[in-house]
Amino acid sequence: MSGCSDGSCSSGSCTGGSCSDNPDRLPPGMLKRYDLNESTADGTLVWAETEDGKVTRNSAEIIAESSRISDGRVFVALFGGPEAKSLYPEIFGYGADTIYHVRGKATESYSPEVYAEALAQVAERVNPASVLIGASPRGRETAPRLAAMLGSGLTADCTGIAADGRRIVVTRPAFGGVLTADIECVGFPQMATIRQGVFPTPERREGQGTAIYWQYSGESRKKVLSVSRRSEKASDISDARVLIALGAGIRDRTIVDLAEEVASSVDGAMVCCSRALVERGWMPQSRQVGMTGRTVRPELYIAVGISGAVQHITGMSGANRVVAVNTDEKAPIHGYADLSIISDAEPALRELARLI
Amino acid sequence: MPSILDPYCEHALTKVLSIKEEGDEVVAFTMGPPQASEALRRCLCLGADKAFLLSDRAFAGADTWATSRAVAAFVQRYGSDADLVVFGQKASDGETGQVPFEVAQMLSVQQFAYVKDMRRSGGSFVVAQDYGDSEVECEAPAGSVVAFSDVDPCGTLMSISDRLRGAQKPLETIDRVGLGLGLYSVGLKGSRTRIVRTGTNDVRRKNRKAVVGNPSRVAELLLEEMGARP
Repeated sequence: MSGCSDGSCSSGSCTGGSCSDNPDRLPPGMLKRYDLNESTADGTLVWAETEDGKVTRNSAEIIAESSRISDGRVFVALFGGPEAKSLYPEIFGYGADTIYHVRGKATESYSPEVYAEALAQVAERVNPASVLIGASPRGRETAPRLAAMLGSGLTADCTGIAADGRRIVVTRPAFGGVLTADIECVGFPQMATIRQGVFPTPERREGQGTAIYWQYSGESRKKVLSVSRRSEKASDISDARVLIALGAGIRDRTIVDLAEEVASSVDGAMVCCSRALVERGWMPQSRQVGMTGRTVRPELYIAVGISGAVQHITGMSGANRVVAVNTDEKAPIHGYADLSIISDAEPALRELARLI
Repeated sequence: MPSILDPYCEHALTKVLSIKEEGDEVVAFTMGPPQASEALRRCLCLGADKAFLLSDRAFAGADTWATSRAVAAFVQRYGSDADLVVFGQKASDGETGQVPFEVAQMLSVQQFAYVKDMRRSGGSFVVAQDYGDSEVECEAPAGSVVAFSDVDPCGTLMSISDRLRGAQKPLETIDRVGLGLGLYSVGLKGSRTRIVRTGTNDVRRKNRKAVVGNPSRVAELLLEEMGARP
């Protein structure tokens, strides 16, 4: 083994201050772990989205879960003027350590380009190991842009997160919801968008932490011609205590109105549906539960005329109790229900509307 | 696996064709295996003028990052003078809905999501976006990325002459080298996410079945469950 001087040989004499029995070939006294290529990223950055001056439930859930699953720090990016200061105690209460309050003329109204850039600046500053964003309409639009800026891998619409130190593995439905895929990101920061209702809603309490103003000096180039806000605040099915879900088994359109009638007389009840009824134009998309719709976790989920395609199950499996009404004894929904009533749903709903 | 034109994209294409004017050229493109050319052929039959298929073995296994990379490279090379780069909001299978906006960032252009409608106004385009809680109308400058959010439930009908004309139109395949991308920029190797494992989605419950013939008995049971008394 002559001519072997680089220390990688199993036998040989000490050369140049490093000894061959030291497998790392480090000079004496040097720390064993000293890798300059190792990322120093740590902690989680969450965008706290606001709506009507309140932190959205989706963001609150993500902040609370981030502080629960890892012992790293939780950074929150918050957009808004001075009025957003009143949200600090609530955000700290969910488990945030530091709030970056992003201010600047361009951030006064939402635009994906500006928000993504501001978030990228904050991310560059705090160097988080993961960036988590709610899968709301705005989050889903901003997250990919941010991911492309940071060069991050991004997983959409996660239904679960597992953390191992600073590394996270996220779960999302794949192949039309038949399978779940566990996905990890190759580098840092790791990014994911997470749906509302995936994690339990945290309790509101006041907390304390550090708040930092972040001045965003960029300009918005977006030429907005008009904005019209929907005045009637559509109630959200993910807030409902009881959900009456209608599926393809419903053949008569008047049943939808009957179900609405029943729901209106039960406290905290709403009507939702599977994809079939949205496609028929009987119900709006905002009421759809499942992969392409909302994820819900009500106290009680009454699936009426729903066969139980995996795509639908994905959206409702978090329900506390599930009751299925279906004529088909072999429908897959029964496997996911606590109680199955094998019966024709339409006359039953008519009867129910009459009783109430 | 059969290759079909995604309903979101078909809707986006019909919207674009509906405002097409004399002298405009509509170019359809997709990334996928060779059989994806069927979907492009359908675009040509529907009224697109040209089509490009980005296809290479090395593209396989791409996540949204690697896909966006290839798409952005294509737009830079073959469509840098495009007025708009139009997408469907998401693919009906993967449903990530990320590619349009990653591409927008890679091209450093503005992005318009959840677009319901688009019209011309003078020399520029005006898009109507629906964010659920509000509707926004914006002017989309040249080169912007536009993502249409709806699907057309009925699809578009084609006549025989559309089909014949579509069969004549040019459809070109571009590989990785044609896009000027390295092996580690595309496909599985260029991806920023990895699937570590797949599992089945099992959330089964202990089920109790009751066959009930009488509708009023069903109604009673449901009322009991809801905790409401008649």
